[in-house]
Amino acid sequence: MSPFTVVLIVPTGVGAAIGGYAGDALPVARSIAQISDRLITHPNVLNGAQLYWSLDNTYYVEGYGLDRFAAKDWGLRPVRQNKIGLLLDAGIEPELRLRHLQAADATRATLGLNLTDYVVTDAPLEVELRTADSGASWGTIGNPGSLLRAAEKLISQGGAEAIAVVARFPDDNSQELQNYRHGSGVDCLAGAEAVISHLIVRQFQIPAAHAPALLPLAVDPEVSPRAAAEELGYTFLPCVLVGLNRAPQFVQNSSLDRETMWSDEVDAVVIPYRSCGGSAILNLANRSEIIAVTNNTTAIQVPPEPLGIKVTKVDSYLEALGVIAARRAGVDFRALNPSIPALRSL
Amino acid sequence: MTTHFITAEIDLTENPVKLNREIEARLEQDGKPLRWAVTQVDKQRQKATVEAIVTKED
Repeated sequence: MSPFTVVLIVPTGVGAAIGGYAGDALPVARSIAQISDRLITHPNVLNGAQLYWSLDNTYYVEGYGLDRFAAKDWGLRPVRQNKIGLLLDAGIEPELRLRHLQAADATRATLGLNLTDYVVTDAPLEVELRTADSGASWGTIGNPGSLLRAAEKLISQGGAEAIAVVARFPDDNSQELQNYRHGSGVDCLAGAEAVISHLIVRQFQIPAAHAPALLPLAVDPEVSPRAAAEELGYTFLPCVLVGLNRAPQFVQNSSLDRETMWSDEVDAVVIPYRSCGGSAILNLANRSEIIAVTNNTTAIQVPPEPLGIKVTKVDSYLEALGVIAARRAGVDFRALNPSIPALRSL
Repeated sequence: MTTHFITAEIDLTENPVKLNREIEARLEQDGKPLRWAVTQVDKQRQKATVEAIVTKED
């Protein structure tokens, strides 16, 4: 019997009430990890800027890699430690660049992470943000070729096994940003961040994640606790480096070692009820148990039923934890209700 | 390489894996799909709206 494996997804850039801010689904991840043998989740869940929580049985898998994992194209091979290459956007001002280099050095000295020498892109990446009609945030990159050339240099010359990208994002004082800081809006940066890491993972098939470089914002007494982790300092990089330190490597050969995880070993997937339209969920649907959480509301309205996805619908993550615990114990969770209908003849 | 934001409309199907394949095939008409999601569903018209980023080679 394979280890009990759960995938936790909180889609990025859709304004999830829980997990749509600064790593604020991390308590959910910690709780699920406690009652699972393995938890597979993604940077949007685990990244809390300078806050993070590394767990031995929790695997940090970037969204493009998670989609390929769900499609059975790629397996996930656990590692003890990756050598991380730091990729910096040429558009970052010198002082802000120094802040990020010092943050990277701090994770080497204080946490024992292993980093290669860094690379600065040969042109500014020119990130552009976009909010779609649906309310989801997206983004495009003006110089993706520059991003990929820098990553290639880190891998071929530095021996990097994972890539941490810091791109200069547009400074923003919009009402949308204020709403986000106050805990009621969509993360305008998240969609573009995902595009950057997806480009690297698709091209090189190694773990990657992104932290935006931004000028510090003026102090605001109304900042929501869910967004407060991004108010702590000059950089969001530490959580990315910690996540990549043990991010599993992607494997494309199914005959490799027994430690490699494949998506047919996934027992349960936890997802917001109204955000079921991602590639990973469509591929995992009707193979694994999908637990859809209704009170994690999102800006988009894509419930599972019209997509043909069968789910176990629960009100909250607290209830989802109960379903997972019962499933792992080999208990039909419906037996925990006071009323159980009698069996009928088929 | 360039990155582009696009939207597309796809017929809904009862089979999520088939829907996934049909979305990827539709997006490939505009470039190489990088990241996408169904972001709206119109049950009456049986249509799904997909938002996506695709890449194109120069």
